[in-house]
Amino acid sequence: MIEICDVVKSFGDTRAVDEVSLMIAPHTICALVGTSGSGKTTLLRMINRLVEPTSGNIRVDGRDVMSVPAYELRRQMGYVIQGHGLFPHWTIARNIATVPSLLGWDRRTIDRRVDELLDLFQLDPATYRNRLPGELSGGQRQRVGVARALAAKPNILLMDEPFGALDPVTRGKAQEELRIIQQKFGTTIVLVTHDMDEATHLGDRIAVLDKGRLLQHGEPADIIANPATDFVRELVGTTDRAFRLLSLATLGEHVESGTADGEPLEATMTLRSAYSELLWSGRKAAPVARDGTVLGIVTLDGLGRLAARP
Amino acid sequence: MMTILQTANSASFVRRRLDPLGVVVTAVAVAGLFLPFVIFKANRIVPGEGVPLWAALPVWAAIAALVGLGSVLVIAMLRVRGELKLAASGAGLLAVVLLIGLAADTMSPQDDSLARIGIGAGSWLLILALALMLTDALSRLDPGPWTRIGSLAFAMVVFGAILGSGTLNELSILKEYGSRAPAFWQETRRHLELAFGSVLLATGIGVPVGIACHRFSAMRSGVLNLLNIVQTIPSIALFGILIAPLAWIAANVPGARTIGISGIGMAPAMVALTAYALLPVVANTLVGLTGLATTTVEAARGMGMTSGQRLWHVELPLAMPVILTGIRIILVQNIGLSTIAALIGGGGLGVFVFQGAGQTAIDLVLLGAAPTVALAFAAAVLLGSFIDLSAERART
Repeated sequence: MIEICDVVKSFGDTRAVDEVSLMIAPHTICALVGTSGSGKTTLLRMINRLVEPTSGNIRVDGRDVMSVPAYELRRQMGYVIQGHGLFPHWTIARNIATVPSLLGWDRRTIDRRVDELLDLFQLDPATYRNRLPGELSGGQRQRVGVARALAAKPNILLMDEPFGALDPVTRGKAQEELRIIQQKFGTTIVLVTHDMDEATHLGDRIAVLDKGRLLQHGEPADIIANPATDFVRELVGTTDRAFRLLSLATLGEHVESGTADGEPLEATMTLRSAYSELLWSGRKAAPVARDGTVLGIVTLDGLGRLAARP
Repeated sequence: MMTILQTANSASFVRRRLDPLGVVVTAVAVAGLFLPFVIFKANRIVPGEGVPLWAALPVWAAIAALVGLGSVLVIAMLRVRGELKLAASGAGLLAVVLLIGLAADTMSPQDDSLARIGIGAGSWLLILALALMLTDALSRLDPGPWTRIGSLAFAMVVFGAILGSGTLNELSILKEYGSRAPAFWQETRRHLELAFGSVLLATGIGVPVGIACHRFSAMRSGVLNLLNIVQTIPSIALFGILIAPLAWIAANVPGARTIGISGIGMAPAMVALTAYALLPVVANTLVGLTGLATTTVEAARGMGMTSGQRLWHVELPLAMPVILTGIRIILVQNIGLSTIAALIGGGGLGVFVFQGAGQTAIDLVLLGAAPTVALAFAAAVLLGSFIDLSAERART
């Protein structure tokens, strides 16, 4: 649980963060969204005290972050930044081992943990352990960046535009990977992004910031359906909000009864992809299957109703 | 029509086949052939008389030398493999050195121990031309750090073997060495103590000051301005300025004299050399630390490294190539500057330079100057290689 209470951060006369209060529930992903200069990165960096608040306070699991030395606090949280920030003179293994080494874990435990994480991120330990970051692709470096942040098994992971430097295909894979890992370990994630798609796709909750103020905080569907201000409406985008709404749920949650012909669609597919698929193949309906078992059907009409303003 | 075609063909032939630098090398070498190869002097201080290559050598050796040199120059002018150019220029240099020794042997009168044989302008030009060809070939081959260190060691062994074999013993510079061998080695040691000592001191002081300038930007401009001013003081003046305060310290601070502080001698020389070396070290440390990617430093903070851990594990190792570049600059600079220490009784190879200048004995000047140049060159190659080795670890 992260509790942010009336936090203000001033740089000279300007308030980068202006009286923001926000509760982030354990085991959820909270996306902080805003344009550049909205204060979202400053807010994130106050959680691990890379920036110290001018007033207000932040509590993590009930404890004020100012009550422990900054470096101890940071070792308890994972931190991922845009452009990965790996240490270029250290091997991949040593990079991942950064926080465990700082915490004084013994050698063997660290080695085991490093291999475990490399496996988790589908990087063959024998191949990648002793490489330098410069020898990896952008996507691989980004995965190592996340692996490093998770190395000491933190409850909280802070991510500052972690996928910003990746191409769309690699970004999509990295987002998928993050969702799976979050579900597996139940890590609380605070994610800064300017990409509304990323925020709706990953966030359990979205907090929209502008000029240092928190404009709206809620579930993605709620923010898309009822934007609190014109700014939020603009950010959500009025032209494709129906599709954003469809992208929040999977077929499995909205199976209709009946029969249909043709190639079945996977139940894990988002409603948005299913809608696209139906339009593309010129069908009005298609069977929905999970692991080869047909569960029911999906229809264009049904999807159309789901996409309408709630 | 025919002629235009032929001209075009021959022009493209020239462009395709001729190495422009090789043409320069050849021009310099040919000019060298027509200048005195060695200089015959009745004694060590009178101006001598130049002797061209074909007159200084036995006929067989002169013919062999001209043929050999001619083939090296052909290789120099053509675009051929770097390895071949390297081998040819190396062999050429070795041959010129051996020929100088042979000429000195041939020219030395049997019964006249006063007569001296000096190295002529022609030899210097030949050596310059071949060295140019050698360094060009080397840099085109782009050898790794270990190869460079190996080549330096190989060159030193070869040159040491030539000196040890006595081939060059009839040369004036080696006669100057022969009559003061113990002093030569003592001053060489002193020279190295001055150069390396001041570099160690300047590194020991400069790196922490550079780190402090990085951490506390308030002191940055003050420190850099002060060091810039020091850098502008002429070296002889700086050596002189230090005599008075150090003499006062020696006279008034108990114990100062016992650790070697005095107005003249090594102490003021060491202080002046260290002062000169500070600016490059401080500036490079600062530039190395400021130039680090902000994401890397941010990541180190975000991971929970303390300020000291960040400096030691991340910032200094990554800034090391830039810091080492600064140290290389001051090492080469101070090996040269240390010659001036002789003026205030600090010793070093400068002793021979100033003695020689006083006696108009040019070969004695050379006895001080040549080893200084060789030391500076070796230091530059060695540290340059170390920098590459350390940079290899820090690729992004």
